[in-house]
Amino acid sequence: MDGILGSAFQVVTGIILVYFFLINSLYLLFIFLSIMGIFRYRNAMAYVSFKDIFQMPLVKPISIIAPAYNEGRGIVESTKSLLSMEYPLYEVIVVNDGSTDDTLEKLIEAFDLKKSKRVFRKTLKTKPLKGIYISPSNPKLVVVDKINGKKSDAINAGLNVSRYPLFCGIDSDSILEKDSLLKMVRPFVESPEKTVGAGGIVRLSNGCKVKSGQVVKVELPHNSLARFPILEYLRAFLGGRIGMNMLKSTLIISGAFGVFRKDIALKCGGYRTASIGEDMDLVVRMRRFLHEKKIPFKLEFIPDPICWTEAPETIKTLAKQRNRWHRGLVETLYHSRVMLFNPRYGVTGMFAMPFYFVFEMLGPVIEVAGYGIFTVLLIMGQYNRPFVILFFLLAVVFGILLSLLSILLEEYSARRYPRLKDIFIIIGYGLMENILYRQWLTLVRAKSFFDLAIGKKEWGEMEKKGFALESQKQ
Amino acid sequence: MSISLLLVSYSLLFLVSFSFLLFIYLIARRIVVQYQENAFQKKYAAIETDILDIVAFPERHLAEKTAEKYKSQPHVLTKVLVNYIEQIEGLAREQLRKIFDKALKEKCLRDIHSRRQIKRLKATHLFVIFSEPSDSEHIVRLLNDKPIVKLVAITALSRIPTSKTLDYIFQSFVNDSIANARVYINIMFGLGGKTESHVKKHLHESLSLEKLGLLIELIGAIPLRSLYRDILPFAEHRDKEIRIKVARALGHMRIPASLDVLIKLSDDEAWEVSAQALKSLGKLGDMASLDVLARSLFSPFWHVRFNAGHGLASFGSAGFKRLKKIQKQKKDRFASDMATMVLDETIYVGET
Repeated sequence: MDGILGSAFQVVTGIILVYFFLINSLYLLFIFLSIMGIFRYRNAMAYVSFKDIFQMPLVKPISIIAPAYNEGRGIVESTKSLLSMEYPLYEVIVVNDGSTDDTLEKLIEAFDLKKSKRVFRKTLKTKPLKGIYISPSNPKLVVVDKINGKKSDAINAGLNVSRYPLFCGIDSDSILEKDSLLKMVRPFVESPEKTVGAGGIVRLSNGCKVKSGQVVKVELPHNSLARFPILEYLRAFLGGRIGMNMLKSTLIISGAFGVFRKDIALKCGGYRTASIGEDMDLVVRMRRFLHEKKIPFKLEFIPDPICWTEAPETIKTLAKQRNRWHRGLVETLYHSRVMLFNPRYGVTGMFAMPFYFVFEMLGPVIEVAGYGIFTVLLIMGQYNRPFVILFFLLAVVFGILLSLLSILLEEYSARRYPRLKDIFIIIGYGLMENILYRQWLTLVRAKSFFDLAIGKKEWGEMEKKGFALESQKQ
Repeated sequence: MSISLLLVSYSLLFLVSFSFLLFIYLIARRIVVQYQENAFQKKYAAIETDILDIVAFPERHLAEKTAEKYKSQPHVLTKVLVNYIEQIEGLAREQLRKIFDKALKEKCLRDIHSRRQIKRLKATHLFVIFSEPSDSEHIVRLLNDKPIVKLVAITALSRIPTSKTLDYIFQSFVNDSIANARVYINIMFGLGGKTESHVKKHLHESLSLEKLGLLIELIGAIPLRSLYRDILPFAEHRDKEIRIKVARALGHMRIPASLDVLIKLSDDEAWEVSAQALKSLGKLGDMASLDVLARSLFSPFWHVRFNAGHGLASFGSAGFKRLKKIQKQKKDRFASDMATMVLDETIYVGET
C-alpha cells in the first residue's frame, strides 16, 4: 500500500497507538490515585462512629426521590428499604411515572396510601400530576402519580414536591445500605457551603440475598452475562470515579445513588428532560453554573456508601442500556460543548470534559477504527504479523492488569465478595471479557452515534426481576 | 527484530509478569487476610470474655490483670474496648478506662507525636473516647496539626470539658477558617449548657457573619435560654441570614416573651425571615399569634404560606378552625389550597 492511502493508514495507526498509550496511562494513574484515596478515607474513618452524625444538630434533612416506571415487581420491597434508612430526618418520594403495570396499586395496597391535597411550589416544569398520595402509617412516604415524562421529568416532579434542602436521586429498583445516607452526608456536614453533591458506590445485586429491603448476603450473579459487569462496575467506581475525584474532576454521580443540594440543582433548572444521560448532565450543568457564577464548590465521591442495583441479564437489555449510556454521554458533552478546553471552567473545562470527550466518548470509534484497519491490512496481506499479534496480546494483558488492579481496590476497600472462589470467578470473567464481550460492547457503544444521529430518544426499558422475587426464591 | 517489535515484546513480557505477580498477590493476600481475620476473631472472643467478666463484676477489679494479659495485642484490645465503652456507664466503664490506661495509653501518647499523620489521627481518635483531664496538655499540642487531626483533637478536648479546654475550643473556633466552623458547632452542641459563658463572651466579639450566625443557631439548638436577651439585638441585624437564625433560635427556645420579636420578624422585608419567624411562632404556641399566622396564609410567597399553615395546625383545634375558614374562602385560591393541604396532611398523617 503506497501513496496517500498508505500515509493515511500510517497516521491513523499512529493516532491509535498514541491513544492506546494515553488511555492506559490515565487508567493506571486513576487506579493509583484511587488506592491513595481509599487508604486516605479508610484511615480518616478509623474509629469514627457514624452514629455521631445522627446526633449532630446541623445535619440537613434529605428528600429521597425514586422515579418508578413499571417497577411493580420490586417497588414495595425497594420502598420498604428506603423507609428503613438510618437518618435523622428524611422523606421518601416515589414518583410513579405513568406506569402501565400495577406499580401504583401495589404501593397503595402495601402502604395504605390516601390521596392527599398537598400543594407545592412548581419550580420546575413537568408533565401533569395525577395525584399525590401519603401514608398514614408511614409519614415519611409520599407517592406522586403523574403522566409519563421519562426519568428526568419524574425526578423534577419529585423535586417540586420535596421539602428538604438536600435530595438524593436514586433508581427505584435500587437498594441503599442502611447507613449509606449518614456516610454520604458527611461532606455536607463538614463543608456545607462548598459541597454541592456527593456520589457513592453502586454494586450489582443480581444473585444477592435480599431480606426486609436489605442485602443480607452477597453472592455473584447466577446469570453469566450479569457477571461481566461486576468488573466493569469495580473499574468504573473504584478505579475511575475515585481517581477522578482525587483530581477534583468528578463529572458523573450515578443516577442510581447521588445526594445534591436542592437549591443549586433548582438554579440549574433541575434535570434536563431532553437529556438521555440525566445524571451526568445534571453534574455537568451544575459545574458549568458554579464556574460561571464563580462560586467555590466541591463534588465528592465517597468510596464507602453502597447502593445495590440490578444488572441486565439478557444481551438485548444490556445492549440497550449501554447504548443509552453512551448516547447520554455524547449528548451531554455536546450540550455543554462550550466548556470543552475552555480555561474559564477550570479543571472541568481543561481536564474532566476533554478526558470524557477524547477517551470515553470517542473511545469506541477509535477502537472500531483500529479493528477496521486491522481487518483491511489482514485482507490486503500487508501487516507485520508478529507485531500485530503481540500488540493485540499487549492490549488484552493490559486490560487484565487493569481488572486485577480493580479487584485489588475492592480488596482494599469494601471486600464485599467474601469467598475466595468469587475472586477466582471474577478474575475468570476478567479474562473472558476480552474475547467477544468487549468487542461487542465497543460496537454497541459505537452504534450509539448512529442512533443519536437518527434521533433515537427511547430510554431502553430494562426487564427486571425485582428484589421481591429474588428474595422469595432464596 | 525491529525496535517497535522489541518494545512491544518487552512491554508484553513485563505486563504478563506484573499481572501474574499481582494475581498471586491478590490470592495470597486474601488467604492471609482470611487467616488474620480468623485469628482476630479468636483473640477478640477471648478478650471479650474477659471484658464481659469485668463488666459483669466490676467490683472484682480485674482490669489491671486483663490489661497486662492483652498488652501485646493492642489492635484487638482497642477494638473490643471501643466497641464496649460507649455502651457502658459507671464502675464498669471506669474499669475499661483503666485497661486503656494500663495497656494502650502509653502507645497512644507515643503515636500522637508520631511523624505519620495516620498514627497521630488514630491515636487522637482514641483520645476522643478515653481522654481525661490530665491528657489535655498532650491533645492541645495537636491544635496546630493538620486540619483533620486538629478537628479530632478538638473533639477529644470536648470530652474533657474543663474551663481551660473550652477556652481552647472557642479560641480555635474564632481563629479557624469558616470551612471548619460547623464541625466546631457540632462539638459545642455536644457540650450543651457548659458552653454558655463562652458563647456569651464570643457573641459580643467581632466574628465573621457566618460564625456569628452559627453561634446564634447553637444557642437555639442546645438551647441556651439564659442567652435569650443576648440574641435579641440581632433580630434587627442588617444581614438577613442573621435575622433568620435569630428567628429559628427563638422558635427552639420557646420563651413567651419572644412573641413580639417574632411577630415583628414575621413582617420582615425578606420572605425567608418571615417564613422562619412564622414557623417559630407555631412552635411558641401563643394564641396571640393566631391572627398573624392566619394573615400570612395570604402571602404571595409559597414558603411563607407553608409555614403559616403548619404553624396554625400546631395550635390544634383553634388553628384548625382558622384553616377551615381560609379553606372555604374564595378570594385567594393559593391560601385556600395551602389550608386544604395542611388540614389534609394533619388529618391523615398526624403531621403538624
